[in-house]
Amino acid sequence: MSRNAVQWKQKPNFPESHYVDTRIYTEEDIFLDEQRKIFNKCWIIACHESEIPTAYDYRTFSHPGGPPLIVIRGEDMKVRTFYNICPHRGNTLLYEPVGNAKRITCIFHAWSFNSTGDCVDISRGKEGYQDRFACKDAGLREVKAEVGFGGFVWVNVDDDAGTLADYIGDAMGLLGGHLDEPLEVFHYHKAIVDTNYKLWHDTNSEFYHDYMHYFNRITGMIQPGYFDRKYTGYPNGHASVGSMAIKYDAYEGSKARGVGWPGLAPGGWVLIDIFPGMTYNLRTSVLRMDTAIPLGPNKLLIEFRGLGLKSDTPEQRAERIRDHNQIWGPFGRNLHEDLLGVHGQGLAMRERTDSKWVIHGREENMTIHDEGGMRHFYAEWSRRMGRDAFNPYGEQTEAAK
Amino acid sequence: MDTRTAITELIHRSGLIMDDVNFKGYLDLCAPDYQYRISAYSPEIRKDMTWLEHDRAGMKSLFDNLHKHNSDKSPITRHISVCTVAIDEQAKTADVVSTLQVFRTTLDGGQTELFAVGRMLDTVALGDDGPLLKARNVRLDTRMLGFGYHIPF
Ligand code: FES
Ligand SMILES: [Fe+2]
Repeated sequence: MSRNAVQWKQKPNFPESHYVDTRIYTEEDIFLDEQRKIFNKCWIIACHESEIPTAYDYRTFSHPGGPPLIVIRGEDMKVRTFYNICPHRGNTLLYEPVGNAKRITCIFHAWSFNSTGDCVDISRGKEGYQDRFACKDAGLREVKAEVGFGGFVWVNVDDDAGTLADYIGDAMGLLGGHLDEPLEVFHYHKAIVDTNYKLWHDTNSEFYHDYMHYFNRITGMIQPGYFDRKYTGYPNGHASVGSMAIKYDAYEGSKARGVGWPGLAPGGWVLIDIFPGMTYNLRTSVLRMDTAIPLGPNKLLIEFRGLGLKSDTPEQRAERIRDHNQIWGPFGRNLHEDLLGVHGQGLAMRERTDSKWVIHGREENMTIHDEGGMRHFYAEWSRRMGRDAFNPYGEQTEAAK
Repeated sequence: MDTRTAITELIHRSGLIMDDVNFKGYLDLCAPDYQYRISAYSPEIRKDMTWLEHDRAGMKSLFDNLHKHNSDKSPITRHISVCTVAIDEQAKTADVVSTLQVFRTTLDGGQTELFAVGRMLDTVALGDDGPLLKARNVRLDTRMLGFGYHIPF
């Protein structure tokens, strides 16, 4: 039976953990709150160590909390991160996404900085500032950076943040032994979609949507063992989904799987969601990493990376690239479907469309089609935000009083 | 028709026929050993990337499976300008460089936006029955494709 306006807005008949108010996807003030309370507090992946292999190599990164960043490898090979903002008149210091800079010299008035963030030269400094201001007062703003969990460079703009290891906890357990060898990024692309970042992370946190993927329906869902996979939630909002055998031969044109991945059973699949928007997806011969970078409540930039082993022969690498492209490349069968899904959600749930609830109500003993992965995310989201995802403006509590 | 004109027509026709979603017609323009590739250079990781690579059978299977997938249905149009044609009489092949612009037009309202730009690097086999596509490398400058597309350019 269809519903009228009142029925449409009625609270779903589920526990409050099992649905969310769609204003968490559309409201500007909630988004600004997320930048402050989530993105500026959590560890975020900025790039991969293989993108800056030699001393003075740098990579720029637009941090989802706001600040533009420089990730640079020092002479001592340590990776450090700084704001990509000149302390003089606020110019961008490094314009290119990647490069090598022993000295970072601002193009505006030629102040120079080294790879440890010290200001090393102020042009005509003495003449202009006399003894009132000098290089020691003009260092770059440093941001916490750690390399780990597959060689990714993680950054945290909160000076008081705990360690990356504490943040991740046991969440990476399922990938234990699979990330010991040095990795290398062979694929990188970005996509901007008019949607909320949480909807993308949700899609990476639920497998019920395998109905959307013809490839997954025939290579996974109809194969034995599919429904045995389980979600596990970890502190800080992370979650993992266990391995299964996937029958790739079932998809016509899908080559038999050969090169594989260290420690991963043929046809194995491990997925780990790291709060608030990063996903390790290890399948066949490729590790995929998604990094969700919200640009607004209904605008999302996603960085996609495909990784193989640094030790790959050209033949092995070519096979990983083929595996990657079939489902995950920009022309892959699954990626377009996933993006089309969140694009559609962005269309339907943008401001003032009178969307109201999103339901995360499936309970199947935390197996593959259970929606517990998303519930786990929103429990953490609510905790960090100090507002309930089902009741973000506290109206339900008000009404109950 | 002279060889150069026949080659130029082949390249242009390959775009028109794909715009018409006539996949069988497209495959008829391809030699049995056809190799298709979409590639791009990523300045961010300083690496050449292959985004799609198929032989003729792989292309056929991609086309055959298309209807089973969920795809954006907005039509795209490929604007190809053949720039250079280098004929190798001895090898009976030609190397062709074209520029490519791909536009996408929405179904609802028909708004057109530029979707991608790049080059097409083609090798054409010159047989007795006329030229056929032997290899195509769609070399994209555009690397942000929004929610993407299922049909190759
Ligand atoms: S703004 Fe950078 S040196 Fe002046
Ligand atoms: Fe998916």
